[in-house]
Amino acid sequence: MNVEVILYSVIIGVIGGGCIAAGAARMFHAPEIQAMGAFRTLGEFNACNGDPVAHFSFGLGFFFSAAASALGAGALSGDVFHRIVPNWAAASLLVKNRNVEETIQNPRKMMMAGSVIGALIVTFLNTMATIIPEKLSLIANNVLTPATGWMLNPVMPAIFWLAAIDAGRYTGMWGTILGGISALVSGNAVPGIVLGILIGKSAEENGYKSGIVKVLIAIVVVMFIAIAYFRGFFAKLGL
Amino acid sequence: MEKKTFAQKVDAFLMKDETFILLIMGAAAAIFAGTFMYIKFGTGAFNDIAIVQMLRDGLDGGDFAAAAGFAAGFLIARVLEGPLVGILDIGGSLMTGVGIGIPALLLSMGVTMPFDNILFALVTGAVIGLVLGAVIIGIRKLVPDGVAVGGTSIMMGAGNATGRYLGPMIIVAACQYNVWAGIGSIIGGAIFYKLGKEMTGGAILGAMILGAFFL
Repeated sequence: MNVEVILYSVIIGVIGGGCIAAGAARMFHAPEIQAMGAFRTLGEFNACNGDPVAHFSFGLGFFFSAAASALGAGALSGDVFHRIVPNWAAASLLVKNRNVEETIQNPRKMMMAGSVIGALIVTFLNTMATIIPEKLSLIANNVLTPATGWMLNPVMPAIFWLAAIDAGRYTGMWGTILGGISALVSGNAVPGIVLGILIGKSAEENGYKSGIVKVLIAIVVVMFIAIAYFRGFFAKLGL
Repeated sequence: MEKKTFAQKVDAFLMKDETFILLIMGAAAAIFAGTFMYIKFGTGAFNDIAIVQMLRDGLDGGDFAAAAGFAAGFLIARVLEGPLVGILDIGGSLMTGVGIGIPALLLSMGVTMPFDNILFALVTGAVIGLVLGAVIIGIRKLVPDGVAVGGTSIMMGAGNATGRYLGPMIIVAACQYNVWAGIGSIIGGAIFYKLGKEMTGGAILGAMILGAFFL
C-alpha cells in the first residue's frame, strides 16, 4: 500500500471534511450567516430528522456507490462531501446526544466529527474500495441513483415552483419565467426558480424602481447569458 | 466581562458570517488537492464519473475546452446564487468549478505547477477559495439587509419539503430495479415507520439486505 496516498488522503479528508461539515451545520442558521452545502443536503438532513440510524444508513448507501465509482474510475463521487461526510458526522454526534441544536446544528461539533470521518472515508475510498462486495455497490447504485436523480429533477423543481406560486403573484411570475429559462439553458429549473423568488420578493417589497431590484435583474440576465454561452445553448437555437 | 470557555469562543467564531471565508478555503483546498491526487495517482477526484471523465479526456487528448466550459458555467451561477440565498451549493461551485473547471483551465494554459505536489495543490486551492469567499461575502455586504430575507424563507421551506419525498422515492426506485430489493425496501420502510424512525434509512437497509441475499 502506498504511504503517500494514505498520508495525502488523511490531510485532504481532515481539512475538507471538517470545513464542509461545519458549513453544513451553518445551513441551519442561513440566511443570517453564509452556509455551504446544498438545498438538497438540507432537505435530506431534515428527512433523517435527527435519527442517527437514518443518517447513518443514508450515508452508507452512498458510501457503497462511492466505493464502486472510486474503484471503477478513481472518481470518489460528489456524494462524499455532499452526503456521506455530513450524514455520518451527524449520526456520530446524535448517538451520544439526540438534541439536534447541540449536535448537527453546532458548527464546532460538526467540524470535529467531520474531520475525523472525512479522513477515514477519503483514505478508505482511495486505498481499500476493492473490499466492498461488488453486489452491495451495485444494489446501492441502482436504488439510490434513480431516487436521488428524481429528487433533483423533477421533484425539487416542482416543489420550488409551487412554493414560488404560493408566495404571491410576483414570485410566481418571476419563478415561472426564470425557472423555465433555467430548465432550457442549464437543464434544471431550480436555480432559476430560486432567483425568481428572490427577484419577485424584492420587487414586491421595494417596487421595480428600486436600485436593488434592477441590480438583481441585471445580474441574473448576465448570468443566464453566460451559462447559455458556456453550455452551447445558442448553437441549439439553429439560427 | 464574563469569562468564556475555549469551546464557547470557537462556537462564536464559527457562527460569524466572515468565518465562511476560512471554511470555503479549506473546502476548496481539499477538493483541488483531490484533483491533484487523481492526476498523480489515478484516484481521489471529488466528483461523479461523468464529470471526471471530461477532465480525463483533457488529460489524455490535450483539449480541456469541454471540462473548462462546462464547469465555468456552474461556478459563475453558484457563486452569484450562493450569497443571495445564504447557502453556497458546493457541488457546482467547488466540486465541479474548483475541482474540474479551474484545473482544466490551468492545464489548458500550460500551468502545471499547482499539480507538482500536495502542498502546492492545497495552497492553490486555498487561494481560489479565498477569492471565491471574498466575492461571496462581498456580494452579501453589497446587497442591503432585508432584501433577500423574504425570499429565503420561502426557499428554506421548499428545501425542507423536498426531504420528505426521499423515502417514497427510494422505495419506488428499489421496486423498479429488482423484486427482492423492492420487497426489502418496503419491509424496511414499514418497520422504520412503525418504530417512529425515518423511512428513508429503513428502505435503503432493507433493499440492500434482501438484495444481498437473493440477487
